[in-house]
Amino acid sequence: MSDSPILASGLVRHFGSGANIVKAVDGVDLEVRQGEIFGFLGPNGAGKSTTVRMLTTLLKPTSGTATVAGYDVVKNADMVRRSIGVALQDAAIDPLMTGRELLALQAVLYGLSKNAGKNRGEELLERVGLTEAADRRVSTYSGGMRRRLDLALSLVHEPTVLFLDEPTTGLDPMSRLTLWEEVKRLNAGGTTVLLTTQYLEEADQLADRVAIIDHGRIVRQGAPRELKAMVGSPTLSIKVGIDQTDEARSILARFGDLRTTSEGTLGVGLARGAEDVATVIRALDEAGLKVRHLELDEPSLDDVFAEATGYRLEGAGTADTGEKNSEAVDAQESKGRRKRRNRS
Amino acid sequence: MNIAITDPHLMKSGRSLRSLFQHSFVLTKRSVLGRLRQPAIIAPSFIFPLFFAALGSASFHKLAEDPYFTKNIATSFLNYAIAGAVLQGVLFASISAAADLAIDIEQGFFERLLASPISRTSIVLGRLAGSMVVAMFQVTIFLMIFIGAGARIKSGPFGFLGLVIGGALLSLAMSAMMAGLAIKSGSSEVVQSAFPLIFVLMFLSSAFFPRHYMSGWYRTVADWNPISHIVEGFQGFINQELDFSQFAKAWLLPLAVAIVSIFFALRSLSKRLAGS
Repeated sequence: MSDSPILASGLVRHFGSGANIVKAVDGVDLEVRQGEIFGFLGPNGAGKSTTVRMLTTLLKPTSGTATVAGYDVVKNADMVRRSIGVALQDAAIDPLMTGRELLALQAVLYGLSKNAGKNRGEELLERVGLTEAADRRVSTYSGGMRRRLDLALSLVHEPTVLFLDEPTTGLDPMSRLTLWEEVKRLNAGGTTVLLTTQYLEEADQLADRVAIIDHGRIVRQGAPRELKAMVGSPTLSIKVGIDQTDEARSILARFGDLRTTSEGTLGVGLARGAEDVATVIRALDEAGLKVRHLELDEPSLDDVFAEATGYRLEGAGTADTGEKNSEAVDAQESKGRRKRRNRS
Repeated sequence: MNIAITDPHLMKSGRSLRSLFQHSFVLTKRSVLGRLRQPAIIAPSFIFPLFFAALGSASFHKLAEDPYFTKNIATSFLNYAIAGAVLQGVLFASISAAADLAIDIEQGFFERLLASPISRTSIVLGRLAGSMVVAMFQVTIFLMIFIGAGARIKSGPFGFLGLVIGGALLSLAMSAMMAGLAIKSGSSEVVQSAFPLIFVLMFLSSAFFPRHYMSGWYRTVADWNPISHIVEGFQGFINQELDFSQFAKAWLLPLAVAIVSIFFALRSLSKRLAGS
């Protein structure tokens, strides 16, 4: 049994046959470590949900192997189901039932006794802030409330591994933040979380490591910081007095390549990363230069995504509605934007 | 509190008959609650049968002046109409119950169930049992309304009970057949498209008019139509003393259809799961 709660090797899933075959997932290798939040990032149709559906036993792989919580997803599907919590896309919750009834139902399905189920239900309702709405039918819940209930349902049996398939798609910013907090809290309690998202910001904020999937293949995998560092160094922009520009430029040059930023500011690509910011400021201060403005522009996951796929997830960084986030932007435009960000 | 299920005995029992019963029970409860909480869907299965019964009683009451009718069929047309109303109500409610299963598939609740360590069979059994409970409730209400309107059940409480059980078995047969279709198609529209077909089959049976008074191809179709025989079994409970032929028609015939239909539904489920 592997120590990694989620381990996939050469995972493939095809739909259709013959000339109409669609390779939804085309050889995914994945390792999610104990206690981490793993972000699975990609546009619609990239293969995120299909991968999650295979890992949660809802779909059999065409080929390849995967273990979740130490159990093979095909050979020990029942054990996998007992070990995981799943909140699927679109919060599939019976609108005719109340939140409390659904939690009680879920508790029975996972083998909890009536009392244990009741207590656990109350605890979870309070945790996700739905105690007052517990006896209302789900049809009266807002999108955010449904998502929170969905999360609570997936936690009834205290799973060690939690799968969240696009948990915040369509939510308003406040509901999104609430859900993020809850996911962080769960993770702090030791739950390993795999979440799929189209939102780069979400992956950046929550995930210890991310995998970027495109056309069924993982094209990048690692900690967001490492991935961003691979794309380029952060740019530090400073503004000093006009008479101090030359001296400031020579000091900045010691920390990396000089970059053109907006008018009146000096820019340097920090070769050793953002850790050097304090050193740069100290050096400028020791030289008697007065810094009037300072700005650090780090490469984003959007840049990583563009680097890996040749296009961008438009609007992914802001992610207010989620509706336009998966629209691919032309690769040339993407590269142009990145150039402008780093060199203009 | 650590309530993760790790005990091997408990895990084993997860696949046991006890789990099947527990899961089926909670899903039955959900199914019944879901029915009762959709009055706009359940109401037609009460209103239309009662309307047709009222219409038939008003239109054909003179049939009760025919000695053959009163001797061999029913003492009044109202008494005759009970079985047709029960059959119609139960069939319609059963199709709606199966449509709910298709809606579960369409809206993703079915996947939520599949992602849990639930006995797969209980997903179907819960829905079928729910349909039977609603049918028993529905038949009871119908009988009370008809008795209130002046109908009399010749075989007394046993006939009453016979009809309630017959309604439940018919519901089992129809909802299993439609559940199979729901699982196979995953579409509530496909299931609901069965309504017109059921209507035609009912009108081509003795549900609304005795076969004795039919002629030509209409009579031939009604003779072969299993619905005629089921509804005549129901009529027997109301209008005659209890005998085996009523049980055979009202219980055994739906039961036979139910066994085949349940097999079809479970096979559809198995194929759907294998396909995924």
